[in-house]
Amino acid sequence: MDFLQNYGFLIVTMIQQGLLGLSLYFPLMAGQLSLASPGFYALGGYIAAIMGTNAAFAPLRESLGSWIFPLEWLVAGVASAALGLIVGVPALRLRGIYLALATIAFVEILRVVALNLSVTGGAVGLFGVPQPFGFVDRWQYVWIFGPLLVLVLLFTARLERSRVGRAFRSLREDELAADAMGVPPTRYKVMAFVIGAVLAGIVGAMSAPFLNTWNARQGTFDASIAYLAYVLIGGSRNMWGPVLGGALLAALPEVLRPLQDWRLIINGLVLVVASLYLPQGLVGLFRRRRAAPLARPATQEVAK
Amino acid sequence: MELTQFIQNVLNGVSIGSVYAIFALGYTLIFSILGIINFAHGAVFTLGAYFTYTLAVGQFGINGLLKNVDLFPNGSPLGSSVPGFVLALLIGSVLAGLVGVVIERLAFRPLRSRGADPLLALVSSLGVALVLVNLIQYLVGAEIYSFPADVYGNLKPALVLHVGEKLVVIRTVQIIIFVVSMIMLIILGYLISRTKIGKALRAVAENPGTSSLLGISVDRYVLYTFFLSGFLGGLAGTLVATSFGIAGPYFGVTYGLKGLAVIVLGGLGSIPGAVVGGIVIGLAEAFVPAEYSAYKEAVAFALLFVILLVRPQGLLGRALVQKV
Repeated sequence: MDFLQNYGFLIVTMIQQGLLGLSLYFPLMAGQLSLASPGFYALGGYIAAIMGTNAAFAPLRESLGSWIFPLEWLVAGVASAALGLIVGVPALRLRGIYLALATIAFVEILRVVALNLSVTGGAVGLFGVPQPFGFVDRWQYVWIFGPLLVLVLLFTARLERSRVGRAFRSLREDELAADAMGVPPTRYKVMAFVIGAVLAGIVGAMSAPFLNTWNARQGTFDASIAYLAYVLIGGSRNMWGPVLGGALLAALPEVLRPLQDWRLIINGLVLVVASLYLPQGLVGLFRRRRAAPLARPATQEVAK
Repeated sequence: MELTQFIQNVLNGVSIGSVYAIFALGYTLIFSILGIINFAHGAVFTLGAYFTYTLAVGQFGINGLLKNVDLFPNGSPLGSSVPGFVLALLIGSVLAGLVGVVIERLAFRPLRSRGADPLLALVSSLGVALVLVNLIQYLVGAEIYSFPADVYGNLKPALVLHVGEKLVVIRTVQIIIFVVSMIMLIILGYLISRTKIGKALRAVAENPGTSSLLGISVDRYVLYTFFLSGFLGGLAGTLVATSFGIAGPYFGVTYGLKGLAVIVLGGLGSIPGAVVGGIVIGLAEAFVPAEYSAYKEAVAFALLFVILLVRPQGLLGRALVQKV
């Protein structure tokens, strides 16, 4: 079991980051670049940390026992969906870089609020989040993150083949044309955004006990960009892309550990090189090249 | 609010707002030409401050190359450290501009020449930012460096105005920041609207394809733009650092994000917009009451969010029309 002792934390982190990559992939399926995931991730984590440590929830914890944890995930998912709707409905009128900037602002505002409230523990954060189901080792979290990843991948595969998935794809390819063909853009964009928000919220709620502590550093601009990098470097047109990108990029600092101080520098270089030389993402390397060049006329950029 | 408090807030706000403006112009110039946001701009801001510090005061090996430069053998009217500092400021900003050029060559041009997804430029520029910030950390560590009090010579540290019974205090650094920023804005305004380079830049911003057909070397003007952008970023970094010190390699991150709020508020790609946006955000922050000062960092982003919802094109931006 030495392997699990040594690498368990890393393996769970790879799954967790893959899930967070997926949370950003959903809005992208509908063509929306949202960087809001860290905000919902932080929200979910705070909900779990507060329900796990705050004295006000002590009676509930005693009566529910281990069932408190699924309840935390549920509350985090519902709260993220509600906040996602409130933020998403107005914000999704914006396109492209504007939506990205609005969601960066959203994440920053949540971060500053979390830093200053007393219920979130201010700048120090919350400590000693209880462990679910009697877990004693980090690697045991595979038993909750693993099934979640499988469920989400099954859900995504179904979604992509469904009417909703086709609506998302049509919005991604051409919003005006989709609208003209009877796909209501706002409804589907908000739906895609909310799905991503709920996933990020649940992952946050599962991560608070995993990390044992939660603070305002969990939801930052850096995280927004990290998740975006997972999707773009893994591949943004296939659900395996974010999972692969998240897992590999999360493992990278660990793999580079022997390089010590050069670690983060090399990490940055990898981002640059990957975005320059892997336009289809890592997943693109595995796919056969047919059809891809014909899918879009080359005149796109010029005609704009 | 009392009148003196009001005047004090306005002065504080305009001073920091003017430096936000010149910093944000670095984003605007690049956005207006390429339609891309250069996320490495915050790192260039940080680098500019470190360059100037190294040249003027430094202990990182160069040991204040320009520390004792004396352009006035008979004694400068402002004090012996000033000419050296001014020279260091200029060279430091030029070096930051050259870093901008390197960023364009390494992280932007390869993507552009391939016609790649513009989102990839976000990631590659962030990769560059990560490299730069961690390189600084590797080379000089995370310590805080402060410019000595006499970089601006033997000027009084602050100007005290009497308004009725009360006092309004303006730090000399604030005045210098404001004046330098205004000079920079005037030079830039002249460059863009009156010179041949400016004309070419505007042409490229309007339509790179047509400009190229008309004999304007688009790649060269994109390089000029990155140089200007880096210069402005580095200058802003130094100015802020002389007021608050260099708080470590991550010093530029907050400014980098606030700069985004500034350009959105003013209107993406609009030069006057960046100036108005900078001043508005500087003022808004200055007017946050002391008891809520912990929320000051969120003001810029709250404004960004609100403006995107009510007027997405920004205060001075052109309305967005989608072409079919």
